[in-house]
Parts: sequence; C-alpha cells; structure tokens
Amino acid sequence: MNFVNSLGIVFALFGAVLAALLPGIGSAKGVGATGQAAAGVVTEDPSKFGKVLVLQLLPGTQGIYGLLIAFIALSQIGILGGAAQSISAAKGLLYLCACLPMAFVGYQSAIHQGKAAVASIGLVAKRPDQFGKSMIFPAMVETYAILALLVSILSIVGIGNLKI
Amino acid sequence: MAVQQIKYIRLCGLKKDRKKILERLQFLGAVEVSDLHLQEDDIFKKSNLAASCSLFSQNVKEAKEALDILNREIPEKKPIFASLEGKRQATPKQYEAFCTRHDETVDRAKQIRMLSDEISQARADILKMEMQAESLKPWFSLDVPLDFTGTETVSAFIGAVPEEWTQESIYDFLARNAPQCGPTAAEIISAGPEQTCLFLLAEKEDCAEVESALAAAGFVRPSVQSDRPPKEQAGLLQKEISEKKEFIEQKQAEIRNFAAFRSDLQFLSDYDSMRYDKYGVIGRLVQTKRVFLLCGYVPAEKSAPLEEELTRDFDIAIEFSDPAEDNDVPVLLKNNGFAAPVEGVLESFSLPGKGEIDPSFIMAGFYYFLFGMMLGDAAYGIIMTLVCGILLHKYKNMAVTTHKTLRMFFFCGISTAFWGFMFGSFFGDAVSVIGSTFFHAAVTLPPIWFEPLNKPMKLLIFCFLVGIIHLFTGLGISFYQSWRAGKYKDAICDVVFWYMLVGGLIVLLLSTKMMVSMFDLTFIVPAPVGKTAGYIAAVGAVGIILTGGRSSRNPVKRILKGLYSLYNITGYLSDILSYSRLLALGLATSVIASVVNKMAAMAGGGIGGIVGAVIFIVVFLVGHIMNILINLLGAYVHTNRLQYVEFFGKFYSGGGRKFTPFSADSSTQYYQFREENKS
Repeated sequence: MNFVNSLGIVFALFGAVLAALLPGIGSAKGVGATGQAAAGVVTEDPSKFGKVLVLQLLPGTQGIYGLLIAFIALSQIGILGGAAQSISAAKGLLYLCACLPMAFVGYQSAIHQGKAAVASIGLVAKRPDQFGKSMIFPAMVETYAILALLVSILSIVGIGNLKI
Repeated sequence: MAVQQIKYIRLCGLKKDRKKILERLQFLGAVEVSDLHLQEDDIFKKSNLAASCSLFSQNVKEAKEALDILNREIPEKKPIFASLEGKRQATPKQYEAFCTRHDETVDRAKQIRMLSDEISQARADILKMEMQAESLKPWFSLDVPLDFTGTETVSAFIGAVPEEWTQESIYDFLARNAPQCGPTAAEIISAGPEQTCLFLLAEKEDCAEVESALAAAGFVRPSVQSDRPPKEQAGLLQKEISEKKEFIEQKQAEIRNFAAFRSDLQFLSDYDSMRYDKYGVIGRLVQTKRVFLLCGYVPAEKSAPLEEELTRDFDIAIEFSDPAEDNDVPVLLKNNGFAAPVEGVLESFSLPGKGEIDPSFIMAGFYYFLFGMMLGDAAYGIIMTLVCGILLHKYKNMAVTTHKTLRMFFFCGISTAFWGFMFGSFFGDAVSVIGSTFFHAAVTLPPIWFEPLNKPMKLLIFCFLVGIIHLFTGLGISFYQSWRAGKYKDAICDVVFWYMLVGGLIVLLLSTKMMVSMFDLTFIVPAPVGKTAGYIAAVGAVGIILTGGRSSRNPVKRILKGLYSLYNITGYLSDILSYSRLLALGLATSVIASVVNKMAAMAGGGIGGIVGAVIFIVVFLVGHIMNILINLLGAYVHTNRLQYVEFFGKFYSGGGRKFTPFSADSSTQYYQFREENKS
C-alpha cells in the first residue's frame, strides 16, 4: 500500500505534464498553420500584417491555458514553491483527472481553432473591413477550451481542499 | 447616443458656380451625394468627365511614384509613432494657392521619374557590361582581337571546345579527323575542366575541313565579339562601367535635389485626388445648359449651417426634406466621449439597420466592465491607461478611428485597474514576491473584495450574474424597439414571456437546497417566493408555446413551432454559461503573472544582491510584457464575442450603410483641410 501511495505524486505530476504537453502541441500546430496562411497574405499586402498577426495568435492561447493548469497543479502538489507533501494515490489520480479536460480539449480545440483562423485570414485578405467578424469565428472554438480550463481550475482548486 | 437624423437635400445652382460650390461642399464634408435616377433627355444631361478623371489619376500616380523614388534616395525621417501623428493641417487657401504651382510640380514629378528611369537603364547597362567583361576573362592572354579571322593565306579559328584539351590532343584530334589538311598551329589560350579556349591557325584552303573537324569536337566561337584584343576590351568595359556608375551617382544627386519639393509632391497627390473625386461627383450631377442639380443626404443638425454658408456666397436654391421610406438612408452615429470609442467595435459588426437604436452607450458601459474583468490586473490597467492617455495627449491630429481605439483602451484600462484592485492583483502577486525575495518582509496587497483563486465559485456566480444582467438588458432593448415600432404583440411575446421564463427559473433554482450548497451561497430564497417564481416561469413557458409560432396559420403547426421556440431555453443556458470566460480569462492573467513572478524570483532571488535584482527585473519585464500582450488580445476578442454573440443576439441585427460624405478628408492622404476661422 505504501508503494501505491508513493505513486500519488507521480500521478499528479503526470496530469500537470499532460496539461502542458497536449495543448502546447495543439497550439503549435494551430499557430503554425495560421502562420503559413498569414505569411502568404503579407507577401501580397504587407499592410495587413497587424490584422493577420492577431488572427495567428488566436490558437496560441490553449498552450497558455495548459501552462496555467500545469502551474496551478504543480504548486498545489508542492513541486513548485514549497516542500512536496506526500500525496495519496487517490488524490494523485484526482489531480490527473482534473488535468484531462484541459489536456484533451485544449489539444483538439487549438488545432480546429487554427483551421478556423486560417479561413478567417483568407477572409481578411479579401475583405479587410470585415476584420471584426473574422475574429469571432476562431473565438467561437476557443469557448470550449475556456470551459475546459474552467473545469480544470475548479477541480484542481477543489481537490486541494479534500482530505483523502 | 443616437443614430443621427438624416435629411434629404436637393440643391440647385448655377453652372458657372458649379466648381466653387462643389469645392465648398468638399471642404465642409457634410453631404453624401447620391445618384438621381433621371432619364437623360434634351434638357437634362450628365456630363462625361472620364478624360479629366484619368488625367488626375495619372498625376496622382506620377506624384506617388516620385515620392517613392525620393524616399528610396533620402528616406523621410519618421518618429516611432509617426502613424499616430495624422495628417498635416492645411487650409482651403493653401489649396487655392497651390493651383499656381500645380503644373510645375507635375513636371517635377515627371523629371524625378525620368531620372529614376535613366538610373535603372544605366544599372542594366552596367550589369550587361560586367557580364561581358566576365566572359572575356578566359581570353585575356590572346593578343589579337576576338573577331580576327585570319590573313590572306591563313584562317584563324578562335573559340572554345568543351572539356580540357592540351596542344597535343588538339593536333592528335586534327590528324585523325582532318587527315588531308596541311600544317596547323594551335595555341591553348586557357584550359579548364569545363572548356578550353583555343586559337588555331590553318591554311586558307583547309579552312572548310578544319572547321567541320572542329565542329565535331563541339567548337563554338565566343559569344562576345570585339575588334580589340580581349584584355584591352575588358579594360575599356571597366572604364565604361565606372563612367556609368558616376553617371548614376550624379543622377541620384539630382534626385536628392528635389527633396525640398517633397511636401509639394504630397500636396499634388492630395490635390489631384480631391479633384478626381470632385469630378466624379460632377459626373453624377444632372445638368441643363445653365443650372445643375445635386441630391444627397445631410445630417439634420448640419443642414441649417450648410444652407446659411452656401446661400451667403452663391445664388442657389436649397431644399431639405425627410427621406422617403424606401430610400437607402445612410447611418451616422453621434455619441458622447464615453460611448463614441466603442462605435468602431459596433461598426465592425454592423451599423444599426432600419428601426434599430444605436446601442453604443449601453454597450460602452458593459464593454469596459467586461474587458476589465477579463484582464483584471491593476498594474496592467494602469499601464494601459497611462500609455493611451499620453498618446492621446501628445498626438492631437491622429486619425479619428485611431483616436477612438485609443480612447476605448483608455477606458478599458481604468476598468482593468479597478478590477485588479478588487481582486488584489498587481502584476499578479508581485508585491508579496518582491517583498519576500528582496526585503524578507511579508507585504501583501490585500484585495478590496476577495481573492478569486481562493473562492472561484463566488466569482463564477458573480460572472453568471453579470451575464444575466447583460442578456436581460439586451432583451430590454429588444422590447423597447418593438414597442417603439408599435409591435406591442412582439414586445410581449418575444421579450416579456422570456423574462418571465428565464427570470422565474433562476429564482426557482435559487430556492432549492441543491443549488445553494453547490454554489456555496450564503442565502436561500424562501420557498413561497420560489414557488411563485415557478408559476411565473410556467406562465412564460405556456406563453412561448402558444405564441412562438404565431407566424403560421395552421394551429397544429403553430403549437409545434411554439414548442420548438421553447427549446431556445438551452440557448439561454449556454449564453449564461458563456460568461464563465470572465472568470477563466481573469484567472489566466493573474496566474500567468504569478508564474512570471515566480520564475523571476527563482532566477534572481537565488543569487541576490544587485545581480539578482537585475536578473529579476529582466525576467519580470519580458514575462509581463508578453502576458499583457497575450491577455490584452484575449480580453479584446472575448469582450467582442460577448457583445456580438450573446448581447447583440438578443436584439440587434444591423445592416445599416455608413454615411460617407463627399469630403476632402476621404480623398487626401497627407493633408487635412480645415477652415481657418472655425474649429
């Protein structure tokens, strides 16, 4: 039983790492794809740089949300700042679960937000006056990343107060 | 806070005043000219001014090209915030005065372009000569000209054969391939693995035989021909190249002499752009032999001064009327300093359509509020406010849209700072981190309200509350719009029933134990109130079922449609949940700020002393600048989303056309024309 319980912190760290890992990969893909589209637009019209840059950044937020969850988890389990407490296996698994919404939703939504942002870059290339609307389409996708972020934050903070 | 009232204007003037009147209108910039749909006949005609228009656009092009060339030679010195400076101020008098300098400026523009053409021609020549000189290099040791063909009795072959050859291999080759020919003399001028340059002499009668043998070996004559020995020729080319280079420098200096006329060229570009637009308007006027007729739209408040100004100086007949119902009336918004900044956000969605109010003022309050909650850091807010405030103060003439955007972020900054102090975030937890790292003191900046990370549920509830208020305000506007248009039934069915249903359900939920314990509420709505709310919600629901499909005549279809519109309650649920982003984004800012502080403290705090402090400051600055930028973008995008999707979804569809007056400002690029005696 001691051995199983000693794995608690491993589970928790695994969760934190997943939260940083998957959305980070997703955001890299999304920002990469939009970057290519944005560069194409700028070759034709350098004055659109500011607008397409904003659109390129949109799928980048998931990576940051992931970092955020990882950070909150790391400081809750005491790896960052303060002595690492011993965490029971159950609690470790709970942390792992709490990180999953951000990890998976962040990964997928970043990729799909990237696709929507590529389309929006196409929109801005043809009709720069529709920039306001073009931002909304990718932002719709981000809603789900934000919801996942919210669930992950609430869970991690909540788990910290549990006594198991 | 309103959509300005627009009047239809009809102006009839004498043709001899046409130019002056239009110029005045252009400077005033108050009238949007519209087409008058009138069949042309013997009396009423429209003039075709395509020829003058193309001349003007030619001049504009010429001026812009000349400016480009000038900027390449001597780049215009621009401060960092040049784009904020806006257009230079000019007066209509300057515009008139420029008339005398117009033609000479066009000539100057042409001269600059010709000089630039000469330079590019010379550059092309240099390139050609350099290539020639390069291809002469293998022939340098040849001391006869390359076009030397021989003497009376001897034929000379000058050319190259592929691959490397030696004198012996040439003789050998000729002996085998041209056995009949007499004595030959071969000289290798240069040899390399790619090609061998060859000078070969043969008797004249053997010429044909040797030539065909050489052709078999792939012999080609040099591509450059000259009547001088190659080395001498190359020297000559070098001399010509340096002459051309001197020529280019001389021409560049000539171009630089034109630098003093830069502002004239800019003026020319604006002047002819304005004339181009003016002639475009003239082309749309209806004219008879002596008079012309102009129709268009003008904001009601500007109609009186316009009439006074025009009748004072010209003999004209002017008439204002309310635009007809089916006219495509343009939309012009008018708001005070608090609400005007968000007009840009509204405009990028859509301007108010027919019968819709201008939501700018109501939207502005929510906009700043929501933005502040999402960014929610006192220091970031103060930085934003200061930066925008200083820029606004320093650059008075910036473009209107830039001015509005900066003012919007100024107000957003104030709200951000407010929420930062409420939630105790100042560069995240910088105060306590710096205190404990460098001064070993436990200083904290206590939140005025509460710390979100400690009580996330409380903040979540608050976010939902904000969302409900926001949505209900939107519904309220919808009610007002329907009521004002006399659609009382719509106002009741589409708004009041929903108020009853959603509002009743919320109160009902708050009276249940489950909700109270889930959200950790400190109060519970008494059961009787909850029960009443339940009844109200039920009445609302029944109302929606009965009236939701009122557009259909078939009663069964009507009820089915009504049930379907009741399903829209899920839309309200997701709309309210959508406001949870206020919490998530607000937390994101402060937690990432804390991450930055922690990293800075780990990097700098471990070392301590001056070096540690320097490292701390570097990490701190870089991290926080990145965090500000990313979260600013996030807050901006998501505030827009909440306005566009959740708020506008309740009452606003837009579709108005922007009022685009015939004005000098819309045609010019460098100058802004203002009357001297007016503000």
